[in-house]
Amino acid sequence: MTHTAHTSLPHPEEAKYVPPCTLVPASHYTVAELTEAYNQTRVDYIVPMPMNVARLQAYIDHYDVDLTRSVVALDGEQMLGLAMLGVRPGRTWITRLGVLPNRRGRGTGEAMMRYLLQQSRDLGAHHVILEVIKNNVPAHRLFRKLGFHETRELLILRRPPGMPQGEVPPYEALHQDEEASLALLRQRRSVPSWLDDYPSLRNAGGLACIQVELQDGGRGWLVYQVTVFQLARLVLQTERGDATQVTRALLHALHTRYPALDTKTENLPADDPHLQGMLDMGYVEVFRRIEMHLSLCP
Amino acid sequence: MATILIFEDDPHQSRLMRRLLEHSGHQVTVAHNGEDGLRMAMASVPDVILLDMGLPDMDGQTIAGLIKGSSLLGHIPLIAVTAWPEDFAGQMAQAYGCDGYLSKPISARTFATQIEAFLEASPPDDPSTRRAEGTDRP
Repeated sequence: MTHTAHTSLPHPEEAKYVPPCTLVPASHYTVAELTEAYNQTRVDYIVPMPMNVARLQAYIDHYDVDLTRSVVALDGEQMLGLAMLGVRPGRTWITRLGVLPNRRGRGTGEAMMRYLLQQSRDLGAHHVILEVIKNNVPAHRLFRKLGFHETRELLILRRPPGMPQGEVPPYEALHQDEEASLALLRQRRSVPSWLDDYPSLRNAGGLACIQVELQDGGRGWLVYQVTVFQLARLVLQTERGDATQVTRALLHALHTRYPALDTKTENLPADDPHLQGMLDMGYVEVFRRIEMHLSLCP
Repeated sequence: MATILIFEDDPHQSRLMRRLLEHSGHQVTVAHNGEDGLRMAMASVPDVILLDMGLPDMDGQTIAGLIKGSSLLGHIPLIAVTAWPEDFAGQMAQAYGCDGYLSKPISARTFATQIEAFLEASPPDDPSTRRAEGTDRP
């Protein structure tokens, strides 16, 4: 039995659907309770990504997750699962969907998905986006059942600390601050995922940027986030010249400046022209996600 | 007898590891998150560090990079403990300078033996002998 009051007429399919569990807004719980539930639903994942309360709160803040529109599934008082909804003008993003390992296969995931799709319609969203870890077959199957289609593969890359190795074309670099970084991001041509879209990067903060000019005329820029322990959230753009050479120069400048920091970057499209340069400079693919879209337009 | 620091947020796992290693005569301390573990490592400089790669506050890879990049801690044998698939675990462990890795779930029967074999192959204060016997090598 759902507890939400619909502000729009439910989709005809939703009107016939009866969820197998109770669904309540995630805002009924503290972030600490949601963190505990989230970690329990992921305990057997191939790539476990546990969170503490601070990390989940940061996730909610950075990615515009609306807990009043997100959902927790219950059996009595026991949490069975949760799913979150990011909300931005005209679109929503389903994330952190998880069900307790011993309660799967009973329609809880589908119930939460249908709830979030109705929330998205209520908000007037034109489309809904999500990412699924590649080879998570049950989740992928569920999303296709609900009408989502694949758009692209997204890579999660890491680079251990260390001075950059390998050949790099001669270049000059300009290092700048967050204000300059945001200005560059507004000129971005590549299609971002939710995680590395402008609002996410602006919300996350800690941004800096590098612009390089190569001797052969190649030119490009890199925006990144720097924290005490890590470099993250890399966005690269080649303005002129060979993308691989520009990437090598940009990353040489970055890792020469921060040789002691580990680097992690998420959701680089598998066909991104900068990928080869990143691999050349010591980046390693950790896993892949498949981005999926559902249009809510009639 | 060796001093062993374990980074592990799961209380059941950490209790099991501690019990198995203390039963074999080792001195064990446990950190339940990355920040605490790094502080404890800097304070105690243990003989070996076991690092759960899925901690809730910091990525295991980041912690491994910090340990191996530290002039104080870099020489300490570091064993990644992870539920990652075998080939991926080896690749990540090697990339981040780990000296070996163990797959979860650990075996109560062999865990202490595996750690001791590693300690024998890499005695304390001997950075030249960095071989991981008894654990899976990256």
